[in-house]
Amino acid sequence: MSELLQIGAQRPKAPEPDSLELRFSPTAVEELEALKTHYPDLKSCVLPTLWIAQREYGGHLSPEAIAEVAHRLSRSYAEVEGVATFYSMYNTAHKPGRHLIEVCTCLSCHMCGAYRIVDHLEEKLGIKLGETTPDGVFSIHEVECLDACDRAPVLQVGDQYVGPVTPETVDELLERLRSNPDSTVVQLADAVVKVHLRDGKA
Amino acid sequence: MPETKLLFEHAHDPQFRTLDGYLAKGGYQGLKKALGMDRQAVIDQVKASGLRGRGGAGFPTWIKWNGIEKEKKNPHYLICNADEGEPGTFKDKQLMEQTPFLLIEGMTIAGYATQADAGYIYIRGEFVDAARSLRQAIDQAYVQGYLGKNILGSGYDLDLYIHMGAGSYECGEESALMSSLMGERGMPRLKFPHAPLPTVAGLWDKPTVINNVETYACAPFILDRGGEWYATLGASTKNSRGTKLFSVSGHVNKPGNYEIEFGTTLVELLDMAGGIKGGKLKACIPGGSSVPIMTAEQVEKAVIGYEELWDDYKTMVGSGGCMFFNEHTCIVSLIWRTAQFYAMESCGKCTPCREGTKWMLQILDRIVRGHGQKGDMDLLLDVTKQIDGRSFCGLGDAAAWPVAGAIRAFPEEFEHFIEHGRSMVQSEEAKAMAPRWAQPAFSH
Ligand SMILES: Cc1cc2nc3c(=O)[nH]c(=O)nc-3n(C[C@H](O)[C@H](O)[C@H](O)COP(=O)(O)O)c2cc1C
Ligand code: SF4
Ligand code: FES
Repeated sequence: MSELLQIGAQRPKAPEPDSLELRFSPTAVEELEALKTHYPDLKSCVLPTLWIAQREYGGHLSPEAIAEVAHRLSRSYAEVEGVATFYSMYNTAHKPGRHLIEVCTCLSCHMCGAYRIVDHLEEKLGIKLGETTPDGVFSIHEVECLDACDRAPVLQVGDQYVGPVTPETVDELLERLRSNPDSTVVQLADAVVKVHLRDGKA
Repeated sequence: MPETKLLFEHAHDPQFRTLDGYLAKGGYQGLKKALGMDRQAVIDQVKASGLRGRGGAGFPTWIKWNGIEKEKKNPHYLICNADEGEPGTFKDKQLMEQTPFLLIEGMTIAGYATQADAGYIYIRGEFVDAARSLRQAIDQAYVQGYLGKNILGSGYDLDLYIHMGAGSYECGEESALMSSLMGERGMPRLKFPHAPLPTVAGLWDKPTVINNVETYACAPFILDRGGEWYATLGASTKNSRGTKLFSVSGHVNKPGNYEIEFGTTLVELLDMAGGIKGGKLKACIPGGSSVPIMTAEQVEKAVIGYEELWDDYKTMVGSGGCMFFNEHTCIVSLIWRTAQFYAMESCGKCTPCREGTKWMLQILDRIVRGHGQKGDMDLLLDVTKQIDGRSFCGLGDAAAWPVAGAIRAFPEEFEHFIEHGRSMVQSEEAKAMAPRWAQPAFSH
């Protein structure tokens, strides 16, 4: 059975409350203030603030990141952790590589050859689904329908959908990504935060 | 019938994504007419149109709008369900990317009719390009007085906000979406009659209308050309009016979104998508992964309409995610993957779905590995019965239907796989689709 079903088995430890170090940049704080005006209460800011935190903490919602969100929105750590771990796009389980390749293997993609793409990626990168290359550049995940079945088999990297892909186009993609020093995981979080805000600004 | 382009008439014109381009093509006529009308008259137009929700359930839209208190005592909210997560569906994405103003105008009409103060567009987290396009459109609408205070001098105020999801199919279920929007885990809430309707107590316990992207996008046409005109589209069907976007994928030559009038046949839809690819047609899932699968024979005669597909084939229009599969498709393998989807996405709140989806996956998993046991088909059917109708929300039912439907439509494939430990479909193509560990089931 899919190993993804086992995710959540290990629960990282919450940081000690006194050791809390706030790391949101001034821009992030401004964005959060703008977001607060969208909702009648602070609790409703949890999802977008987790997106801000995912960007500010380098693509990983570490216990420290969750603690900062809880602190800034006056929630408990347990509550915010509970929310963050529910959603698959928040990287709570472990820090992903600089580029997270999410391969759709759901029905339409399955029937258009998605598992050959998974095999190819695993072989090429020497890692299994759910793992990160030792140099920290790539992670690969299997995801459910990306709702781009017209481009099956399709995958997502950062804020871009790529498809239909073949082993050859995957190789080109890997080369392109390898020479991209910026984290597409962080770019995705940044893009998601920006679309919440008028003119992309706080 | 050929394609009928209403929502998508200008979809491929990049100018249509800008406010000026939209106005040049007659945009905002619907809102202008609505603002000159009594609120109830707007709702009556929607009633006359026969518009039914495009998110999957086909609920009459006017009943929701009409359910909001007329004497305003509370803030009122509007939600657009843009969480599009149903496997096979990708129409809302294209609508937001290419025709963002149809959605904005539609929401403004709905907002005016229900006296909404604010609208939230809940977009699935992956849809960044769609969200960007909508963001630009909303910003332009604010600048030119189509959103914000005193819209077009009418005295009506509306704010629209984008709220991004973070990866969860269940957040498309309307009450789970509200939980998520309020900063919680995406789990559904107690429903009518055990709790008030969302139109009475929805988002933040205030009167709330929630509709799908496509549903809102229909409103400008209904208000501009009249509900009666809209109802002439699809008039050949029992009770399905207007056009419907179908996302066609799978083994077809031209996958993509196609807009059809209700009453069009599935064969015509398949033709629009360039016909079947790589072999003969074998099966079709007409309305997204949640609806029961059809055989090629059934596809031959099927007419697209809510009642038509249900009465004759016990399947559904659903969200319009239409997948066609060719003869090299192993139905057992297809359903195994479908079951994995529901097992992964079950929110875990109620036992029938949380446990039942895992049970179904476990049984299908052993069948696909060649270790199926005698009685597995009955066991699977039994589990589907334990889930269907006994779950807290629609995801449970949606997980049970495809499994039960496939066993009904293709019993021989399941029997064969269990008895011989191999797929009935023995071809290089079928083998090439299978995950590596399942490939022995496809080799002689
Ligand atoms: C598990 C589940 C997932 C759903 N996903 C969506 C979705 O992605 N988009 C959508 O519009 N409706 C979805 N729905 C249907 C909504 O609950 C609701 O019926 C719809 O948003 C109402 O809008 P409409 O009347 O305009 O169709 C889903 C329902 C269930 C049970
Ligand atoms: S049926 Fe139950 S477990 Fe399944 S998604 Fe709905 S509430 Fe959650
Ligand atoms: S099945 Fe892969 S995008 Fe839909």
